[in-house]
Amino acid sequence: MMNEETPMNEQESLRLITDMIAKAKASHFHEDGTSAILWGSVVGFCGLVHFAEQYLKFSIGFDVWILTLVALVPQIFISIKESRNRVVRTDMQIAMDAVWTVYGISVFAMIAYINIIPYSSANLFAQSGVSLFQKDANGVVEPFRAFALSGSSLLMILYAFPTLVTGLARRFKPMLYGAIACYVFFFISLYTSTMYDNLLAGLAGIGNWLIPGLILRNRYIKGKSC
Amino acid sequence: MFKELDPILHSQLRLAVMSLLIGVKEAEFTFIKEKTNSTAGNLSVQIQKLKDVGYVEVSKQFVNNYPQTTCKITPIGIAAFEAYVKALQEYLVPKN
Repeated sequence: MMNEETPMNEQESLRLITDMIAKAKASHFHEDGTSAILWGSVVGFCGLVHFAEQYLKFSIGFDVWILTLVALVPQIFISIKESRNRVVRTDMQIAMDAVWTVYGISVFAMIAYINIIPYSSANLFAQSGVSLFQKDANGVVEPFRAFALSGSSLLMILYAFPTLVTGLARRFKPMLYGAIACYVFFFISLYTSTMYDNLLAGLAGIGNWLIPGLILRNRYIKGKSC
Repeated sequence: MFKELDPILHSQLRLAVMSLLIGVKEAEFTFIKEKTNSTAGNLSVQIQKLKDVGYVEVSKQFVNNYPQTTCKITPIGIAAFEAYVKALQEYLVPKN
């Protein structure tokens, strides 16, 4: 037990400083991986289910990606709980929180872009008096429905960004490798159809967050039991 | 000629508190207590001494009806800590 009366020589002072700095540093990266597991599971599940729907030609009756919005509810509770339980705040944590908040806003904006652009494009074309048509393989001509090209690819760039920042800043290799894999999936998705883009997005979610989250959880449990 | 070591910092518990706080933005009292392995009473007294000389800032608030005390090192505290470490180095590696 520490006591202010205990006399110290210079070496003991220096040793105490080093020990305390090391103790504080060891407490910095104490995340239990809950958020990463949540989002890795949700994005992985949505991507794989959507791919399966298209590949095996069946429908679950609703857009499975809606689950990413549903996942916001537990995320809010997780964030509040983590904030309450946080006993130490570091500049690194503040920076990481900012990166993930910006990521959340950017994903929301990107989803808005993907969903709004087709309608606003159609309206702008109509206002300009331009009509677009498409002819299918049977020669049937019908009005062309505008869509945002390869939205999944754009989302994959966003998935990789905060993960790579976290991996580099925290020197957490699972996230670093996950982010690199995500960039590889992004480049592959430039040449694949939407069906395979969904598969790649699902794999990106698993590689980016689910696997690193499980590793974090394992470390956290081991750290608590020590 | 050796510099005199800052008497406020040249105390085991106060130095431990400052060493913990130097690497973080802010820390709760419970965290400092756990890491320094000290008693709440003794720690409170030592933090108060650090606060009196302006080395740390202490803020108190209620979270879920429980009092929460948070400590943060000040720029004066950082300068004092750096001067203390520099003085220590001079003791350990005297200039010729």
